[in-house]
Amino acid sequence: MTSPSVDDLFGYVQKRCLWQFFSRSWDRKENIEGILEKATQLLLEEPVTLTSPMDRLFHADAKILVADFREHFPAITTLGAEEVKSLLQSVKERLLDLTVTSSKNRELHQNLY
Amino acid sequence: MPMVLLTCDKDIPEREKHIYLKAPDEDTRSFLPLANAPTIPGTLSERGCSFCGAKLVIGGVLKDTIQMIHGPVGCAYDTWHTKRYPSDNGHFQLKYVWSTDMKEPDVVFGGEKRLEASMHEAFEEMPNIKRMILYTTCPTALIGDDVKAVAKRVMAARPDVDIFTVECPGFAGVSQSKGHHVLNIGWVNEKVGTVEPTITSEYTINFIGDYNIQGDTDLLQQYWQALGIQVIAHFTGNANYDDLRGMHRAKLSVVNCARSAGYIANELKRQYGIPRLDIDSWGFNYMAEGIRKVCAFFGIEQKGEDLIASEYAKWKPKLDWYKEGLKGTRMAIWTGGPRLWHWTKAVEDDLGAEVVAMSSKFGHEEDFEKVIARGRDGTYYVDDGNELEFFEIIEAIKPEVIFTGPRVGEIVKKLHIPYINGHGYHNGPYMGFEGFINLARDMYNAVRNPLFKLARTDIRSTTTSELKEAV
Repeated sequence: MTSPSVDDLFGYVQKRCLWQFFSRSWDRKENIEGILEKATQLLLEEPVTLTSPMDRLFHADAKILVADFREHFPAITTLGAEEVKSLLQSVKERLLDLTVTSSKNRELHQNLY
Repeated sequence: MPMVLLTCDKDIPEREKHIYLKAPDEDTRSFLPLANAPTIPGTLSERGCSFCGAKLVIGGVLKDTIQMIHGPVGCAYDTWHTKRYPSDNGHFQLKYVWSTDMKEPDVVFGGEKRLEASMHEAFEEMPNIKRMILYTTCPTALIGDDVKAVAKRVMAARPDVDIFTVECPGFAGVSQSKGHHVLNIGWVNEKVGTVEPTITSEYTINFIGDYNIQGDTDLLQQYWQALGIQVIAHFTGNANYDDLRGMHRAKLSVVNCARSAGYIANELKRQYGIPRLDIDSWGFNYMAEGIRKVCAFFGIEQKGEDLIASEYAKWKPKLDWYKEGLKGTRMAIWTGGPRLWHWTKAVEDDLGAEVVAMSSKFGHEEDFEKVIARGRDGTYYVDDGNELEFFEIIEAIKPEVIFTGPRVGEIVKKLHIPYINGHGYHNGPYMGFEGFINLARDMYNAVRNPLFKLARTDIRSTTTSELKEAV
């Protein structure tokens, strides 16, 4: 089994996940950071905080994402904790770059919805 | 591959910024079609007006509400009956249309008196209806009729009625998208929080951006019911006016059409702390994923799995049968905006189709980010496309079926290419598991229809030739 690459996971998120493309830069950043944090915890089988409604939302998205990662990239379950953290950190950075920092979308930084 | 300047656009080179042909290893950091921008003079846009976006798409769906259109009679007729969104109360919203029927003297001397009289007349004629949405149109906005003041006077005279005003004339924005925006923001600021809904379940959602096209809402409602989830408000399929006033009490906003209704979901999150969950309601894989996410939010995962298993048992064999027949079908999607990204991967994964061209009338750049991420290489992505561009792209990519509206559909039929009504559907609903079977059936019947081949044959000779009367 080959370990999944950043390209693999990034490509999967790009094709499947609507949360990366919310209307404004702050919503995109909040979603990407929140969901990938929860996904990392789930992959590492660490306890997940579910106190606020947003926690529960991120957990719901992360749960499906992690199940998909495990199904499509089964070698992810063989990675050590530091490898998982590093892999998902890289995915997060690439998503933030594509959808926020380098995005050409002219509406991303408008103050109002 | 850079942006594309089609041959037909040689005299309007600005169109190059709106058409993209995706190549391998490219992404939207480098190329993103300009969208939600003014239509370029010289191009024949197929967009609707901003008033239409508010009335036809969102407000007009409500099943217990008079839609008072303050303007010439054509504004009313042209936003009535062109979309099929039934309701469970005898389709009140499809049967009737209301207009102040403005004439020249009203434009010269002001239309407020005529409006006030029309509003009273409508309530008198329909004594059981106590809710109204009042829309301005181009002429009444230009002459400055104060429709909010008139609405206040009518409400003062009739304490049991409630009226919401939408001041979004046709010229307010670049397309119908502005009407979606104005209605969303107006509603959340003026009406949400003014009615307290009766709560019957600990699991409550708003289902946002679904307009019960040929029964979409009714079909999805069966799922929410099976899961024990109370939908406080469907925004706006089969909904009552007052349902939407109680949206602040839902624990989760589930969003299907993020383009027409993402605004209200964002504001419900900002003003009331209700999280926004975006899902795709078309396609097996996507629908199952959406149900799983909603159930995970409420901690009722097993109920979700049971529902999905039962729906798969009922419908998956049929899906597989259609997939066998549709594998490799070259398909184009020329609709409003969101259906591009909702459908491109769904028809690819679930039906084996290849989406080779997509055009959006009113999508924003966000919609193109989504669809380019999901779509195939070698596919055209077009903003605000026009007929000549469609003809040229058809020549280039030879689609076998086109999902689009009736106007464009009638044109492509002349080229002997079948079309499916991508707005109002042919034989819907298309959402959910059962709905996607309906979509697959309509698509199968379209591409297998022998009439197109027969129509191409010139019976006066022995040769078969493509007729070109449309180009």
